Amino acid sequence: MPILRKSTAGTMQSSDLMVVVEPAPTLQIEIESTVKKQFEHLIRSRIEATLQDLGVTSGHVRVSDRGALDYAIAARVETAVHRASQE
Amino acid sequence: MFDQPTEREAQELIESLGLRFEPGVDDWAGFYDNGRLAACGARKGYVLKMLAIAPEFQGTDTLGALVTRLILSGLAAGHETLFLFTRPQTASTFEALNFRILATHGTAALLEHGPGFEAYLAAHPAAPGRNGAIVLNGNPFTLGHLHLAEHAARQVDRLYLFVVSEDCSVFPFAARLAMARAATAHLPNVTVLETSRYAVSAGTFPAYFLKRRDEAALAQMRLDLDLFAGRIAPAFSILRRFAGDEPLCPATRAYNEAMAEVLPGDGVAVSILPRFEAGGAPVSATRVREAFAAGDFQRLAALVPPSTLQFLRSDEARPIAGRLRSPLKGA
Repeated sequence: MPILRKSTAGTMQSSDLMVVVEPAPTLQIEIESTVKKQFEHLIRSRIEATLQDLGVTSGHVRVSDRGALDYAIAARVETAVHRASQE
Repeated sequence: MFDQPTEREAQELIESLGLRFEPGVDDWAGFYDNGRLAACGARKGYVLKMLAIAPEFQGTDTLGALVTRLILSGLAAGHETLFLFTRPQTASTFEALNFRILATHGTAALLEHGPGFEAYLAAHPAAPGRNGAIVLNGNPFTLGHLHLAEHAARQVDRLYLFVVSEDCSVFPFAARLAMARAATAHLPNVTVLETSRYAVSAGTFPAYFLKRRDEAALAQMRLDLDLFAGRIAPAFSILRRFAGDEPLCPATRAYNEAMAEVLPGDGVAVSILPRFEAGGAPVSATRVREAFAAGDFQRLAALVPPSTLQFLRSDEARPIAGRLRSPLKGA
């Protein structure tokens, strides 16, 4: 799925995350999280797997996480990508 | 439920919590409980302010919802990174929302959310060494600036010349940056950089642009200097900051005084040099702007380097002279 425009999904509420997706020549993922030290690798691999499932090969993905569970991460990323792939 | 509060409702809530209300923002977010405003916050440009939550809603996730609103509002306005002023004792509440502390001083803390300072450093790789810095507005770049830069460049391995990025001055940022680059091109160890929002910006030091002198201005000045000493100086190996003494502008003079007071305690030495003089009077950007507004190029030639003079004679500079002559002239 192509990232055609900037989009967001999610909130800054506790146990949620906010995702900002925008077009970029390569795939870049930036993660801010209250639990970054312990869980950044898990958050990152969940985001990467979700993007791969959606066929996203390029784009700038910024995540501000407040301790979301992995299915919430997948859902928010998927929503942001769907919004970003519509003209 | 969320709705846009009226300024009066917001002011009442903000002042009831002992915070200062400042009118003139771009966006308000308000959270209502049974028709009563329970929480609010505002955004002005890339700065979030006046976040206020009634006591019975503190500790709930009202703040998370409020911040979500304001971040979305900021993103929609094109601001990836947002600044926030708060009290130091509430800074940790915002750290839990992925804000990072940039600086604290006394009663104020400055935080940011987004790619921010890390992205700025990644875009401006620093040289190791015993380096120095000048932060200047260069509105426009004068012989005084040039002499200061030449003197400073001789004292250090590399001199970082930070040009204030904020477009609050009569000469636009791109022109101020170009003038600083052209005037110092002959100095091989000078690097001209934008300050982005990390020195003397509307985010760190809004009062600078208003030429205000009160408690708030003093607090902002110290916050700005704390950010310089705590973040910029270590990142660019800056051991000394240089400035020209300021005989004319009271705001800049107060900033110089605060600099000499604050920075040495944080490991950054301060050198304040006597102002370069021409024709028996100190050269300052204020004087240059006066001569430029009057179209007195003969006087200008004694006050600015040839590269600045060339810019002032260009078509690009003509509308600026017009603005300087208008009654609402920019500083």
